[in-house]
Amino acid sequence: MVAVKDTVDQVAGLEKYEHGFVTEIEQEFAPKGLNRDTVAFISAKKEEPEWMLAWRLEAFERWSAMESPDWARVSFPPIDYQDATYYAAPKTKVGPASLDEVDPELLRTYEKLGIPLREQEVLAGVAGAPRYAVDAVFDSVSVVTTFKKELAEAGVIFCSMSEAVREHPDLVRKYLGSVVPVSDNYFACLNSAVFSDGSFVYVPPGVRCPMELSTYFRINAAGSGQFERTLIIADKGAYVSYLEGCTAPMRDENQLHAAVVELVALEDAEIKYSTVQNWYPGDPETGKGGIYNFVTKRADCRGDRSRVSWTQVETGSAITWKYPSCILRGRESVGEFYSIAITNGRQQADTGTKMIHLGEGTRSRIISKGISAGRSSNTYRGLVSAHPKARGARNFTQCDSLLIGKSCSAHTVPYIEARNGACTFEHEATTTRLSEDQLFYAQQRGLPEEEAVQLLVNGFVRDVLQELPMEFAVEAQKLVAISLEGSVG
Amino acid sequence: MLSLRDLRVRVGEREILKGLTLDVPSGEVHAIMGPNGAGKSTLSYVLTGRPGYEVTGGAAELDGVDLLGLEANARAAQGLFLSFQYPLEIPGVPALTFIRAAMNAQRKARGEAEISAPDFLKQARVCASDLKIDFDMLKRPLNVGFSGGEKKRMEVFQMAMLSPRFMILDETDSGLDIDALRIVSDGVNALRGPGRSMLVITHYQRLLDYIRPDRVHVLADGRIAASGGPELALELEREGYDKYARAA
Amino acid sequence: MSLDEAIRLRDPSRLPSRRDEDWRWTDLRGLLRTVPEPSQRLEPGELGVGPFDGLEGEAILVANGAGPEDLRIVADESRTVILRNVSRGDGAHASRLRIEVAAGGRLTLLESHEGGGAGLSLLGIDLSLGEGASCERLVLSDLDPESVAVVELDVRLSARTRFAQTLMTTGARRQRLETRVRHPGQGAEVRLDGAYVLRDRRHADLTTSVRHEGPDGRTEQLTRGIVDDQARAVFQGRITVQEGADGADARMAHNALILSDRAEVDARPELEIYADDVACAHGATVGALDEDVLFYMRQRGLPEAEARSLLAASFLGEVLDRVEAPVPVEYLRAWLAARLDAGI
Repeated sequence: MVAVKDTVDQVAGLEKYEHGFVTEIEQEFAPKGLNRDTVAFISAKKEEPEWMLAWRLEAFERWSAMESPDWARVSFPPIDYQDATYYAAPKTKVGPASLDEVDPELLRTYEKLGIPLREQEVLAGVAGAPRYAVDAVFDSVSVVTTFKKELAEAGVIFCSMSEAVREHPDLVRKYLGSVVPVSDNYFACLNSAVFSDGSFVYVPPGVRCPMELSTYFRINAAGSGQFERTLIIADKGAYVSYLEGCTAPMRDENQLHAAVVELVALEDAEIKYSTVQNWYPGDPETGKGGIYNFVTKRADCRGDRSRVSWTQVETGSAITWKYPSCILRGRESVGEFYSIAITNGRQQADTGTKMIHLGEGTRSRIISKGISAGRSSNTYRGLVSAHPKARGARNFTQCDSLLIGKSCSAHTVPYIEARNGACTFEHEATTTRLSEDQLFYAQQRGLPEEEAVQLLVNGFVRDVLQELPMEFAVEAQKLVAISLEGSVG
Repeated sequence: MLSLRDLRVRVGEREILKGLTLDVPSGEVHAIMGPNGAGKSTLSYVLTGRPGYEVTGGAAELDGVDLLGLEANARAAQGLFLSFQYPLEIPGVPALTFIRAAMNAQRKARGEAEISAPDFLKQARVCASDLKIDFDMLKRPLNVGFSGGEKKRMEVFQMAMLSPRFMILDETDSGLDIDALRIVSDGVNALRGPGRSMLVITHYQRLLDYIRPDRVHVLADGRIAASGGPELALELEREGYDKYARAA
Repeated sequence: MSLDEAIRLRDPSRLPSRRDEDWRWTDLRGLLRTVPEPSQRLEPGELGVGPFDGLEGEAILVANGAGPEDLRIVADESRTVILRNVSRGDGAHASRLRIEVAAGGRLTLLESHEGGGAGLSLLGIDLSLGEGASCERLVLSDLDPESVAVVELDVRLSARTRFAQTLMTTGARRQRLETRVRHPGQGAEVRLDGAYVLRDRRHADLTTSVRHEGPDGRTEQLTRGIVDDQARAVFQGRITVQEGADGADARMAHNALILSDRAEVDARPELEIYADDVACAHGATVGALDEDVLFYMRQRGLPEAEARSLLAASFLGEVLDRVEAPVPVEYLRAWLAARLDAGI
């Protein structure tokens, strides 16, 4: 292709991962290694009640007896769990009361990342601009949660997980681990033992959460992993839309991110959960460094007519292993999964969803768009199952893969299990390369090759971008373009 | 003669027909008009025996035969034909195969001999040419990939082939342009005659310019709210259904 | 895991099980506590008639695993071979047959799987096609309800060859029909079709794996089936396009109708793509007969049973429309019609 040289030059001059900086800040760490003492240390740091420590220790015992899963189409050297730090926190007191108590260096970090932590900054925007409340998690702790007061007036609880354990123990005990049981899988079990922070949301019956909620995760410290835990409960008839974003510095070693997200939707409730995942993907040439993103996300549509939709834009991480799923238990409950997964360089992604139809008249919809470039590997893995009682269950799945370049690969592995005579499943999948004809057509009309590629790719992922909250859709579209820099040729 | 007495029908929790009484004497064409949601389609489905419509009271007879106790196909064998508002696609089954199977099933149910292949094809050619249907289209799976107009024409074609004695036309004009409407109406009018009756269900008066009814009934809130001659349709066109909606 | 070894060594721990990813829905180890004793010899007098009897062709018999080991079709020869694989009794046996079609040869392979008793059987076939050769394989399988049977076909193609198959089965207690194709591209074409009609507690597993190893290959797949009562159908189709196998065009479809609340369909249509210049697609649907269509047909006078049969026959009939051999296809049609007459 003609533009190859130009592209290569262009890319050479680019800062490939713009969030790759390190924040110089005084931090406090747990001793390296993982044993009962580490678990007790984390629990003590968080001033947790006895029951929480017992819960963690049980998880640790179970995890010690488990083996790392090997069924996903990803490969990585064995992880030495004793060679990592499980707790890293900026040296300020836990849960600062106001922004003034937050280390200014931290505030500058979030400024640089474009995350508004000062409510007045958000408010100072154009009148009518959408507002969103933020919980900012820096390594192992939540540094600040905005708009708490306004949310509280609506009855919405939005706080860090640590705070929830202390302030709302009844809710936490009732729901924590009720969607993703402690020993669900290797990484979820590890998370249950050592989770440090994350967000907690409770929306009371009939309340429509007055603004978008979001959590921003940042791994900063070297040699540490991040193990956040998020729990969102939408009570009867409630509605909430939640967005998470994540970045990490460029480091040569691999860092582990093993999060657990649990969503509970009761009768007539609706949760929209969006993710823009942009962890450091490792060096595109050597494959060195990058985040291992081994995440368990699951929603329990417990109530009749409840509804959960997962939207994810996955562009970062060296390895992604995640399957945001819906257990469709309530009658006529609805699960949706919209995904864009982009791999470039030497990234590996094995991602998809599970839609488990248990209740009558349940419906699900899966739209997955995978794009592989460079020398990456991109796998969609999904399960749609209807149990004998799930009469009238319906699923539609559309799963498309796009290949850019000769050295990447794309895989589609759907599992379909129909266990009753009144369900309707439709699954369609395609794998193609970026059309040279379309590319030429766009170039003939004057678009440079790189822009033409972006245009076509944006068309390819459009169905999913539309599911994101407006302001993030724009962001995500840019991210898609950046992730594919240098992929043409 | 079709005779409906105090017919009450429920779909799920909702009562849709609330005591409908109507007579369509043999040889006559009656129109049922009414606002959306009045129960027009329910009437056509309950008469033809679609599952999911629960009759909670009343009676429906065709020439003295109780329709409500019969299976959908047995009602068809009695000579009851519904031209669907949205005809279904039958993948893999050519139109001719389908119609012949239906015709023979009806004959069998009536204790008649099956039609011979040559007689069937002869009749199909005549009907197709009357309705300006390309014969090759009849070899394709029924309605698969057909346009809205083609589907409606296929409904009238089947009507002509099966020669029923009571026809229900459910919104037959929807989705038709003027030319298609003329062809379809000509086909329907050709089937009019003594011993044959029709119930023409429509929201608009337009179709009645082509298929002239003997009587017009207004269906509102699950009952016949008014009956009259063809002039009633013109009045409805001018004044709308408001007065019946308010009454309901 | 190897079924062949399990049978030869009478070692149940070698049976494939749900822990083996490719056997997750066809668990043999969980089903059989022990591997039965070796099958007795079968006398030719005990065999009855096969479903292709009456057609012209060379007859080959595999009786309780005993039969010829090699079959050669020489260059430019055109032959029809009728292969009967008959099992009786409750023993276990495994056998392997090599079929070679030399360059330019043509083989129509009419294959039947019959009987089975309460035994366990494995038939492996290695088929290789020389340049420009072609083979159409048509399979009718009617096994006893207590039998456990596996048939594996390994196909090696050369440039400009054509391999086509249509499998038709009513299943068994557990049955697996597996087809693995090494596809060299270079103008070679593959068609892998199948149809199943499963009732009672029968099970059938149609598994295919096609590996495109060279440029410009075509693969087409259409599998359709009906499951009733407590039957279970499994479809696994994997298409792999290796690096360098550019221009691969592969299309796979699996459509199943479930007629009973306790029947089950499991499907895994898989694409594994390591080349970028490809056009691959798969589609899978599972559902009941369309109630609206049934009502429409009944409104025109068709009794429900007849309407259902007509829909089922046309649904499965589309698989037969793709068969090339003009006379044998009528045998397949009659076979299917007889299986559907029992009511849907």
